[in-house]
Amino acid sequence: MHIAEGFLPPLHALAWTGIALPFVVISARRINRLMRQQPQIKLLLAAAAAFAFALSALKLPSVTGSCSHATGTGLGAMLFGPSIMAVLGAIVLTFQALLLGHGGLTTLGANVFSMAVVGPWIAYGLFRAARGVNLPLAGSVFLAAMLGDLATYMMSAGQLALAFPDPASGITGSFLKFLGVFGPTQLPLAVIEGLLTVVIVNFLREYSGEELQSLKFLPETLAVEARS
Amino acid sequence: MRAIDRHAWNNGWRNWHPAEKLLPAFGLLLLTLVQPPLTTGPLVLASLVLAMVGGAGVPLRAVLGMLLAPLLFLLAGIPFLAVSMDFSNGLAFQFSAEGWRLALSTAARSLAAIGCLAFLALTTPLTDWAPLLRRIGVPAGVVELILLIYRLIFIFVERTLTGQRAQQARLGYSRFDRSLKSLGLLAGNVFQRGLAQARRLEIGLAARAYDGELRVLEPERALSWPRLALAMGGVGLIGLAGGMLARGSP
Repeated sequence: MHIAEGFLPPLHALAWTGIALPFVVISARRINRLMRQQPQIKLLLAAAAAFAFALSALKLPSVTGSCSHATGTGLGAMLFGPSIMAVLGAIVLTFQALLLGHGGLTTLGANVFSMAVVGPWIAYGLFRAARGVNLPLAGSVFLAAMLGDLATYMMSAGQLALAFPDPASGITGSFLKFLGVFGPTQLPLAVIEGLLTVVIVNFLREYSGEELQSLKFLPETLAVEARS
Repeated sequence: MRAIDRHAWNNGWRNWHPAEKLLPAFGLLLLTLVQPPLTTGPLVLASLVLAMVGGAGVPLRAVLGMLLAPLLFLLAGIPFLAVSMDFSNGLAFQFSAEGWRLALSTAARSLAAIGCLAFLALTTPLTDWAPLLRRIGVPAGVVELILLIYRLIFIFVERTLTGQRAQQARLGYSRFDRSLKSLGLLAGNVFQRGLAQARRLEIGLAARAYDGELRVLEPERALSWPRLALAMGGVGLIGLAGGMLARGSP
């Protein structure tokens, strides 16, 4: 869920930028190191980010009739690992702001934190944990993608709640309010995204073993599954 | 998206030095954030729309189209800033004057900031940002990654939408479960072909002695100091007017 440009008060926008920045910087260092070792990774990463952007151009079948699109947060985390996702997500979010008007520059920090840090880490953690207890791949992918999406949405609602506490019931009340406003579209969306991610991963495992192999410099991601 | 990019490349101010557009826009964005939004916001938005439509010759439709998506978010979120929810003794909702003021000022700030974003997006193509990014210390590798992504985005989005149209023509979206399957196949295909394309690019570049940096000519544009001074003067005036109006109406 993109928080619109200018929606957060200045101090909050600044604070979230400060919180998101270390993740992006560490991720950028890692990518820089990878690119120095293997210059061709630059093209791979560019393709990955452009793919993530193209995903957001896909309209999902929607239950409530609202216009909604896939986020690709969970899929990205499972394909590339969360530490790469911070920079990829930040770049994609900037492009979405400047090419589509989704999100914004002042709210970039908050959006990066919820969509490129929290979502991917939760999705990735859940994926590893589910595989750790020997859940089938499809189930793990579904859980990771769906709950990663939900975590992103709850984080955004939390950010909005912190910025606009309810005068009567405080931050808790405001959090419930924002969950309620955006829940009816976001909940079904998370389930749909989970199902969609399973279909994509099944497809990739069946037909794209070779491409997944080219990602094998990334540890502990789906590339491992393709090899086993 | 293609419309936004087309205007960015074809507007009347396309050949101005990017700093002449970026600095005033960021100045206005800063004003929107620090000044009382109820008076400054409308001024900023009005002056930006005037600059885009009257100055750069971007059609009003394009400007409104850019404002539409964030507007929907505002419409969903803003009313809930005004409502206060109390569950200390049962659930009770009430509107308060203070809530309305908060909702209004948030809407004003957000709309003005979206105006700044629209101005940046509709007058300056992303490739013009690159030299400036490099000057503020973004590593060359990352800037190049950004330019590569910018190029690939349009290829991938077009491929995705073409694929979706083909699937639609074959009744791929006639039922909910079919839609999911079609979308999954489409995304998988775009990913697979995207990686394949990256590999082809890589081979092609390697054959041309690629060592990690693409060197391109940047168009030389003289920075017009009078124009920049005029724009920044306008920004200062808007800030002054916004501040004075706010003090006049407590």
